[in-house]
Amino acid sequence: MNHLLSFSSSLQGYLAVGAILFALGIFCVLTRKNAIGILLGIELILNAAGINFVAFSKFRTGLIDGQIVALFIMLIAAAEAAVALAVILRFYRLKQTIDADEASILRN
Amino acid sequence: MDLVLLLAEIFTVASAVIVAFHPNILYASVFLLFAFCGVAVMFLFAGADFLAGAQIIIYVGGVTILILFAIMLTQWLYKIKLVDIRNKMLLPGVLALGIGFFLYRALHQMALSLPKLTPEALDKFTATPKTALMGQALLGSYLLPFEAITILLLGALVGAVWLARPE
Amino acid sequence: MVQSAQFAHSLEGWFGFLPLWGWAAISAAIIIYFLALPFGGLATYVERKIAADMQDRIGPNRVGPLGILQFLADAIKMLGKEDFVPKGGDRFLFNLAPLFVVVGSCTAFAVLPLSKYLIGADVNIGVILILAVTTLIAPGILLGAWASENKWSLLGGLRAASQIVSYEIPVALSILPVVLISGSLQMGQIVDQQGWTLFGENPATFHFWNAFHNPFTFFAMFILFIGGLAETNRIPFDLPEAESELVSGFNTEFSGMRFGLYALGEFCDVFVMSAMVAALYLGGWHIPFLDIEKLGFALPTALVAMVHLTVFMVKTLLVVFVVMWLRWTLPRLRVDQLMGMCWKGMLPIAFINVLGTAVWMWVFKGQSMMQLLAGHG
Repeated sequence: MNHLLSFSSSLQGYLAVGAILFALGIFCVLTRKNAIGILLGIELILNAAGINFVAFSKFRTGLIDGQIVALFIMLIAAAEAAVALAVILRFYRLKQTIDADEASILRN
Repeated sequence: MDLVLLLAEIFTVASAVIVAFHPNILYASVFLLFAFCGVAVMFLFAGADFLAGAQIIIYVGGVTILILFAIMLTQWLYKIKLVDIRNKMLLPGVLALGIGFFLYRALHQMALSLPKLTPEALDKFTATPKTALMGQALLGSYLLPFEAITILLLGALVGAVWLARPE
Repeated sequence: MVQSAQFAHSLEGWFGFLPLWGWAAISAAIIIYFLALPFGGLATYVERKIAADMQDRIGPNRVGPLGILQFLADAIKMLGKEDFVPKGGDRFLFNLAPLFVVVGSCTAFAVLPLSKYLIGADVNIGVILILAVTTLIAPGILLGAWASENKWSLLGGLRAASQIVSYEIPVALSILPVVLISGSLQMGQIVDQQGWTLFGENPATFHFWNAFHNPFTFFAMFILFIGGLAETNRIPFDLPEAESELVSGFNTEFSGMRFGLYALGEFCDVFVMSAMVAALYLGGWHIPFLDIEKLGFALPTALVAMVHLTVFMVKTLLVVFVVMWLRWTLPRLRVDQLMGMCWKGMLPIAFINVLGTAVWMWVFKGQSMMQLLAGHG
């Protein structure tokens, strides 16, 4: 238990969580067919990157540069999510009209 | 304190596992919210107080709400099932495991090559408030990336509005 | 002596399984929730009384003197209701969603500056923390609305979420002038710097209430108040629960204690927003022009804390009263009016306020209007 506690509060603990989140994000992106599901995976990957930057900033450099990069990652993730979701909504609207056309073809 | 950090890390990983494996897309995004909160607690323990607050505001208040909106606008109102149709899982699983493992090995090697901080320096770093330091850095040595980010955000705002415009 | 040592030892045996900070955290949580719960309960009573006064009725008058125990009766009635989850609804999310709202609004109580000597946790990101934890309310409402499997609920939830996300921007922007003035995000420090006194020495960083620091902050206070109204879904912004269109909006399907949690969360959120207006712009615990710690004789700290607490609560409850007053004064907005007001009205004004305050700080070297008028700073 003590071993686990000291591992979790060390750099390696942070790196392990970051790596696991990254792997899960990659898995999520590769397996999901739903566009929103892929977006969830991308968010996990970006969070993993942020964790790594913050961990190195604390445990190795002792400077705040890592945190600033993590902040930039966060802002880019927000912009990316807004644009991606606008694209998804647009795409959905387009698809919906295609489906409606097919239905009308069947009716004729 | 270490116990709280350990619990936060376990919570984050468990939530992320549910995000990756739950077939229902809505549940996956709810657990993504929990994973964001867990990461915020980890940031707090790494001495990133401002970043933890920003993480909650941006991810929970912004990104998660957007995702929930998109799910509800595209799926529920039009009566499409929320359950995701999956591809084959074996190859992506192996690939993800491999990438995660090599990422950890590489970063671990890099960490070994860098000098360690003393425990006193670690405690001092954790205890220092970061907000003022980050503000000075953003308007100092990081001014150019900061301005680039503002232009990116403006572009994203205009682009999203233009994409989602009514017919 | 030996006995007390033995007693302490046995205490350690009982309570030693958690370290000291663990108990501190738990007791802080209990204090927060015991502060939040009676406020939520009493607020329902006060709101009903005020509503009755505005409409020339008597209001609750049966339970206890002047009906003051009405909220206990309501709570007992709620506990007795059927534990109902709609058929086809999502049980897990239905149970989870009200908790988001309660956790989001009650946690913010921890950083409210009740007094100079009585702040739950005077963390150095206090303002950011309040903004952060109150964002949990929007997912709570949205998920609860979705889990109800009811079209009215879902429409109400979507309205609530879009409204909260939109109005968060003017709210955050109208907090920025205060941060510019005080150079800190710490609640205690922000309030402390508003303690300008008419007599005696004032440090150069001490201003009068931030609302009167410069003309821009005066408008920023109103933007913050209106944005707070919209974020807490109060009239005239109560579109998410517009009863003439959406039955009861996002909480239509909720009954019993789950509905109680939603109502409690909403009232606590109103209190937190009002407390933010009072602390950031109306001087928090300070009596105008007077600092009770600089009277020339020393008061006991406990007494100072009590006076501070009273002043802060009076200011906050006055703002809460205005919120309840508006409920019976203003008609509800339409959805397009709501969004137009946020994006075309309040957002530009909020930006002008931030810019104007920054220019003011640069031109007048950070002096407030009151310091310029009094000629010393």
